[in-house]
Amino acid sequence: MMTDSAQTDKVFAGIRVADFAWVGVGPLVSKYLADHGAEVIRIESSVRPEPLRRAPPFVNDEPGLDNSGYYADFNSSKKCVSLNLQHPDGVAIAKRIIAECDIVTESFTPKAMRAWGMTYDDLCEVRPDLIMISMPMYGLTGPWAMWQGYGHVLQAAAGISHLTAYPGEEPIGTGVAYTDFLVPHFAASALLAALDHRQRTGEGQNIDFGQMEAAIHATETMVLDYTVNGREQQALGAGHPDHRPYGTYRCAARGDDDDRWIAITVTDDAELTALADVAGQSSWTSLDADALDAAIGAWTRTRQSEELMERLQNAGVPAGVVQTPEDLRNDPQLAHRGHFWMLDHPTMGHRAYDGPSFRLSETPAELTKAAPLLGEDNEYVYKDIVGMSDEEYVEHLVSGAFD
Amino acid sequence: MTTPSAAGPLAPFRVIDLTNELGQLAGRMLGDLGAEVIKVEPPGGDESRFIGPFRGDVVDPEQSLHWWTFNNNKLSATLDLTNQRGQELFDLLLERADFLVETCPPDAAAALGLGVETLRSSHPSLVHTSITPFGREGPYANWKATDLVGTAMGGLSSLCGAPGRPPIRPTASQGYTQASAQAVVGTLIAHYQRTKTGQGQHVDQSMQEAVTFTHDNASPTWDIRRINNGRPGNGREIGGYKSGQYVYEAADGYVAALSYGGLFGLTARQTIEWLDHHGMARDLTSEDWLAKLDATTGLLIPPAGDDADYLNETLVAFCKRFTRAQLVSEAQQIRNGWGIVHTPKDLLDNEHLSDRGYWVEIEHEEAHVTYPGPWAKLSKTPLTVRHRAPHIGEHNGYVYGDLLGISEDEIRSLASANVI
Repeated sequence: MMTDSAQTDKVFAGIRVADFAWVGVGPLVSKYLADHGAEVIRIESSVRPEPLRRAPPFVNDEPGLDNSGYYADFNSSKKCVSLNLQHPDGVAIAKRIIAECDIVTESFTPKAMRAWGMTYDDLCEVRPDLIMISMPMYGLTGPWAMWQGYGHVLQAAAGISHLTAYPGEEPIGTGVAYTDFLVPHFAASALLAALDHRQRTGEGQNIDFGQMEAAIHATETMVLDYTVNGREQQALGAGHPDHRPYGTYRCAARGDDDDRWIAITVTDDAELTALADVAGQSSWTSLDADALDAAIGAWTRTRQSEELMERLQNAGVPAGVVQTPEDLRNDPQLAHRGHFWMLDHPTMGHRAYDGPSFRLSETPAELTKAAPLLGEDNEYVYKDIVGMSDEEYVEHLVSGAFD
Repeated sequence: MTTPSAAGPLAPFRVIDLTNELGQLAGRMLGDLGAEVIKVEPPGGDESRFIGPFRGDVVDPEQSLHWWTFNNNKLSATLDLTNQRGQELFDLLLERADFLVETCPPDAAAALGLGVETLRSSHPSLVHTSITPFGREGPYANWKATDLVGTAMGGLSSLCGAPGRPPIRPTASQGYTQASAQAVVGTLIAHYQRTKTGQGQHVDQSMQEAVTFTHDNASPTWDIRRINNGRPGNGREIGGYKSGQYVYEAADGYVAALSYGGLFGLTARQTIEWLDHHGMARDLTSEDWLAKLDATTGLLIPPAGDDADYLNETLVAFCKRFTRAQLVSEAQQIRNGWGIVHTPKDLLDNEHLSDRGYWVEIEHEEAHVTYPGPWAKLSKTPLTVRHRAPHIGEHNGYVYGDLLGISEDEIRSLASANVI
């Protein structure tokens, strides 16, 4: 098979990943590797499709396995094979792929890999220096190991929803499947450290990554305030336990959009004075916190959020527009950093993809291609990597192993 | 007394940590992975030692639970970086380090010797990670940001809260958490490259951009449908479609149960059977309802209007009757992924976490304190929680004496001159 010379300078050139993971956490871990040059092969099936391929938004609102923007955004720079692991030949074929891979990623509940005979110990027989990361909700062991879940639910189980609510109200949590966008960084860090260890010693290993256990590390002092002081911290809306004003304030409508908001925060006296100066209200420095909040809200309500942000930031007050997804696409700072990548997809067309949030000065990320079609790379992977003959390939195709 | 110890995959490496609350978790994660992390703080103690809450609510730079949480597994050396001798010592420290993680404001970096080009020419093998609100360069580079400004500007707050009401944020700082955790990923990617070439590089981490990672499907939804996902309140929004309620009150607290508890979509039939088993399915077992809900299996778009209200009322009444543990364990038996909304006390009492040995006790002079344990279980090079957060300058002897080879007399004179 050809070697893409542009790929050989990449950080993870020569690293190959068999990515069995689905939905958010796993694909976002392997995306870090793919966007920095690893050859990531997603292993999926049309018999039991990756759930995100069935989730909106769809181009033209037409559901289709190769038409989901949700799936696409998490799977840039990757390849994809279709393989039915329930087929009698499925597991044996999977192991032939894994034998050619450095890393296996998966995020099923633990019984799936056990049922297929694809635990770490099993897979070491075909690849002795393998690194494998398993990322179930609750880890590989323990009374809840077989429990299912979603990121939207796990944020509740990890204590994050308890801290995300209007004061005294029900714990609604964030409006996103939050832990799906939190724990991949921890999982990727563990995986990269294991890869570094292998680079130095030749030794692979298994990583049992319980998503809940990583997510608890995002609760700041919540645990210690309880274990040391016996206090259960409570949610404060947009607020902060030590600082006021510290909140979101409604601004003037923009066109017919009357849902424009600005975050204004004050952490010391100098910032309070600066805020009062910008508003032209010297009395603000002596108001009590509730009165000041009300005064700020009345002031912002008749002003444009972007204009307020500029004026406050220029005066040294930490403030920022509550940006919508549309605002992010027009954000000059994100544009300066080249956050969004426009990539062409065979069926979805020219679409925006999110790149990593950090910039490496010498080996920056490159999103090399749009998300793969289901089974797009079957011929390359099965023939060129695994080494199937044309006859064998056709045999498996006909038997339904590649469904 | 704590001593440097070797454990974990990054045990051969040393990190200089010059971070405030924006980046402290990054240094700690590297420490959790086994690296020796030296927190460099000003002679009077780091500003984050004054962030609450405090043990017993007494303000004391050695009793900040914020400091304890984010600085265990680190050593402390004091150093005045505004002083020329201090900068010389810092340079010697960097000579012996593999990583520098710092949160210096971009417009102050050059004066402290933390310019990107300066560090790259003086320490070419160093991986230098800067964590800043908006990135080291660009039109907003010198703007200030707290956590809320980060969650607002990065797009998370617009997705948190209820329609018509103010956008909110998790009260535990997620802008800082996201920036720190993603910075570790960037740092380790740069590190891997160094294992091949010997060359370090600069990793420029922006908090705002880190927060954009959290927007779920909102970015492609805007790109494809020109719809902004909004604040769903007690619910969820996917691809611009509002989903059903998901947090319900149980007899003893709350449960999280997506999509009206799974009463529509793939789990509808077994969920109705479960409610029926308790005699609480109301009319949902009727042919009419089953046909209606079967029609939703291929979609994530829920019923609306009166049907939605009926589903919701059914589930509200059901959940109130039972405890969280009973609801969630029965839901899990029918492969329906409900979860418990845990309070801090619930987490500490949780049998699953205990069974996995999650919590760790760390010895402080004042007490043994329970901390969250390692965030990944590596079979060959385990992560460890080795020791408590350091006192101010606790490891000056090790850092300046053992590492830099400075005599005890000189260390004393540096201390009396307030350089360290």
